[in-house]
Amino acid sequence: MQQVRTGNLTMNRLRGRVKAWLSKPANIILLVFLVTLTALTLYPLLSMLVETVTIHTGREARASKLAAGTLSLYHFERLFATSENQYSWIQFYEPFLNTLLVSLSSSVIAILFGGVVAFLVTRTNLKYKKFVSAVFTFPYIMPAWTLALFWETFFKNVNIGLKTSNGIMASVFGVYAPEWFVYGAFPIALVLGLHYAPFAYILIGGILRNMDANLEEAATILKTSRPRIIWKITLPIVKPAMLSTFLLVFASSMSAYSVPVFLGSPVRYYVLSTKMKSLMDSYPGQAYIIVGVMILFGVGILLLNQKVTNSRKQFTTVTGKSGQISKINLGKANRPVAILLVIILLMVAVVPLVTFALESVIIKAGDYSLSNMTLDFWIGTALDKRLDQGDSTGILLNPKVWNALIFSLSLAVTCAIVAGTCGILVGYGVAKRRGSRLASWVNSLSFFPYLMPALAFGAIYLAMSSQIPWLRGFLLLALVGSVKYLPFASRSGVNAMLQLSGEIEEAAVITGVPWWKRMVRVIFPIQKSSFLSGYLLPMVSCMRELSLFVLLVPTSNTILTTMLMQYSEKGWAQFGNAINLLIIIVVLLVNFTVNKLTGASIDKGVGG
Amino acid sequence: MKKLLSLVLAAMLVLCCIPALADVAADVEAGQAMTHDELVEKALAESGTFVVYGNTSRIATAAEAFAALYGIPTEANNLKDQEIYTKLRNETGAGAASMVMIQDGAQLTDAIDEGLVINFVPASVKDKLDEKDQQPALVHQYINKLFIYNNLGDDVPAIRNVWELTDPAMKDRVIFKNPESEKVNMNFLVMCTKPEWSDKLAAAYEAWKGEPIDLGEYQNAGYKWIAEFLDNVTFGKSDTTIAEEVSQETAAGKIGLFVLSKLRSSSVLTDNLTVAQYDATAEGYEVNPFSGFMYPMYTMVNTKASRPYTGMLFIEYLMSQEGFQPWGKSIGAYSPNAEIAVNEGDLTIDVWKATTVMEDADYILENFEVEDFILLHCQK
Repeated sequence: MQQVRTGNLTMNRLRGRVKAWLSKPANIILLVFLVTLTALTLYPLLSMLVETVTIHTGREARASKLAAGTLSLYHFERLFATSENQYSWIQFYEPFLNTLLVSLSSSVIAILFGGVVAFLVTRTNLKYKKFVSAVFTFPYIMPAWTLALFWETFFKNVNIGLKTSNGIMASVFGVYAPEWFVYGAFPIALVLGLHYAPFAYILIGGILRNMDANLEEAATILKTSRPRIIWKITLPIVKPAMLSTFLLVFASSMSAYSVPVFLGSPVRYYVLSTKMKSLMDSYPGQAYIIVGVMILFGVGILLLNQKVTNSRKQFTTVTGKSGQISKINLGKANRPVAILLVIILLMVAVVPLVTFALESVIIKAGDYSLSNMTLDFWIGTALDKRLDQGDSTGILLNPKVWNALIFSLSLAVTCAIVAGTCGILVGYGVAKRRGSRLASWVNSLSFFPYLMPALAFGAIYLAMSSQIPWLRGFLLLALVGSVKYLPFASRSGVNAMLQLSGEIEEAAVITGVPWWKRMVRVIFPIQKSSFLSGYLLPMVSCMRELSLFVLLVPTSNTILTTMLMQYSEKGWAQFGNAINLLIIIVVLLVNFTVNKLTGASIDKGVGG
Repeated sequence: MKKLLSLVLAAMLVLCCIPALADVAADVEAGQAMTHDELVEKALAESGTFVVYGNTSRIATAAEAFAALYGIPTEANNLKDQEIYTKLRNETGAGAASMVMIQDGAQLTDAIDEGLVINFVPASVKDKLDEKDQQPALVHQYINKLFIYNNLGDDVPAIRNVWELTDPAMKDRVIFKNPESEKVNMNFLVMCTKPEWSDKLAAAYEAWKGEPIDLGEYQNAGYKWIAEFLDNVTFGKSDTTIAEEVSQETAAGKIGLFVLSKLRSSSVLTDNLTVAQYDATAEGYEVNPFSGFMYPMYTMVNTKASRPYTGMLFIEYLMSQEGFQPWGKSIGAYSPNAEIAVNEGDLTIDVWKATTVMEDADYILENFEVEDFILLHCQK
């Protein structure tokens, strides 16, 4: 009897505890995400691990002399320890070193460029801020490989690469760029760095903008010098954002495929992702090992990142008190700095657009005279009778293009809504329960998809979807996009939530405001800019994504980027350039509309 | 855990595929015996979207004409060969393609063994084709990649012997697609090591140098040629870019190895280009021992086809005079059907078979390790 009562008591106590635990929304959120993300990220990872030890039919079976389906370490031995024909060196070690070099450099470039510009825009009285802020995100909106293509067409000349033709720089200005500048590690790192610099700009800028000025003011009152304030106060506060940026850019650069192909191939410069792609053809086991190595690297940085955000040192920068940021007066340096910045931005963000526009109206490549120009590729009809360079109508009159545009937009908006909202929730849960094991699991899991190279991620989801009959078409693409881009949203969600002091919500908790109302009325409005970037980044990324979707789209005309790639491959450069420009214009329009409706935008995350 | 997972995966896969596999195979067998009208009737009775994949962009044009002819809406997708193989492995159900047009005989052989695709030979063309163009896979067309050079300037690389391309003077003047990025290119290089071709290369060397070949460390003349050829090569992105680039006025002295049909593109300055074999035929000499290479593009039914009969009808259409039109209207595509004449201005398939290296799937599959040697020479 006594025992039963004790038992009941324990049961009751346990039930009470569970109830109390579940009464906290943060716990429920974390639990739900733990389960969902495990299914959506760990399962793909596991099935990938299985691939690395499985002998596949075809070449693998023949080369290993093992039956297909056998579990074996053959792929590891082959990739890591084959000296014949320097196989391992060629297929793994050298590309690995190249990848490290390129990814590290592009991260540094992105953080330096994006961070400095973010600082100038948010914390100084720099001139032309509006322009800088508006244009800075352009390189991210463009598919990275179009930027690479631009770099090549702009700087190529008869002394380097294929040595067959001169780009604009050589033919118009007579400047012949050296080979290292146009092909190989330097341009790959630079293009990727520029492409991802907006990450730094958005993440670091978001923090700088919302930073409590009291900290700096206190230092100013104590007569601390400007550089010292930046070094001792500003930098530590943006450190988590810098690390986040580093992680994002490093992992992205590591799995970037098209840029190294375009700028590396002519000088035989290979990286892991290009090797992975070609191995995937005949030796998938080895290809998946490369994917595993990339993920391991990402996890390493992720752990480092976590050490910073999980440590007790927290940087609460938004509190209930008001703060006015004091802006540094650049004085005489203002105009030169501003002009230099504008010129750089014109080069990397506006000139490519002009080039795309130009290339979309010329008939024969390389001839920029008016007589060689036509708007046919945009609005022409019956082109098959006259030009025979692709479709029979210009892109704006082509229903295929409009359908793809609508599909791409719906996809991007869906992914943004799903990923963005989940990101805020994850951010909330993680920040509220910081230090708990559950929080750190969910935090890592929500970031994990980012570390999977897009191409491999798509391939694994394709395999998964083959077992789930209803998972196809739009639903499949939306799921993959949402999972893949959740990291953007969860990063900005966590960053923003970590800045929020608990007292902001407490006031509402005391007066009995329900949780959802606290989220919508209190938390969201305060960190609106950071949250909105959590919605906009997935949207923009989705609009210009290629590798992730290429295997999953029902047809190559389903979304704009696959259509664009197809046109470029066929050599229908004009249509390709026109569609590329269309993508950029649409994203800018969306950005503009969001801006008008809510007052926020990608760049407004930083403010101008 | 891993074992369990793979077992579960395998079990699911088997459950999903077996019934479909048996059905389509039976359908294809029945289809081979059907007349055109019977095929049409069966195809029209099928429902759902009709999807096709092709390793050639012109499949879209053919699909449009096919759709108009039979009133069957057709979704044509131009994909890279590897993407098609990946999709064949993983896609099931209504979204999957019912038939594919695909290249790379070596990989196709594996795909047939794996049961991913089934060969279908329409009764209407059975008598018009060579046996080896029907089995193990139906050849829709042959495609050739040829030595084509820029004919401007004083130093025109009008080669008569492929060893000329290994001369130090040709360094960085030869443009080819990276063999890693498209398998048919890799296949060609592997073929050079086959005794049939390495012997010819050895003889060609002697004809060029006037002395027998000194192999040094190389296994045969094919290996030596590959190594020295690749040393002089710069890799271009795609056949289209290579064609455009070699045709530029600033590209005098350059030679490319790329798809002949790219000369149809209006972005290529065709006047600046000379096809080595055209010149050889006109002047009555030979490019020793080959003027390029040739490989088949096959058509196959997907084992998981949701509209197998429509797939077969489309294959029958593609093999007809009308269905070949999208390719046949310009140079560089050759039907194995002798009744479909070659494009005006082009040479006949017999000439190409005699002057180019033809892909041999069996040799390539057996000698896969040659690829490692080739990769080594694709390094700096």
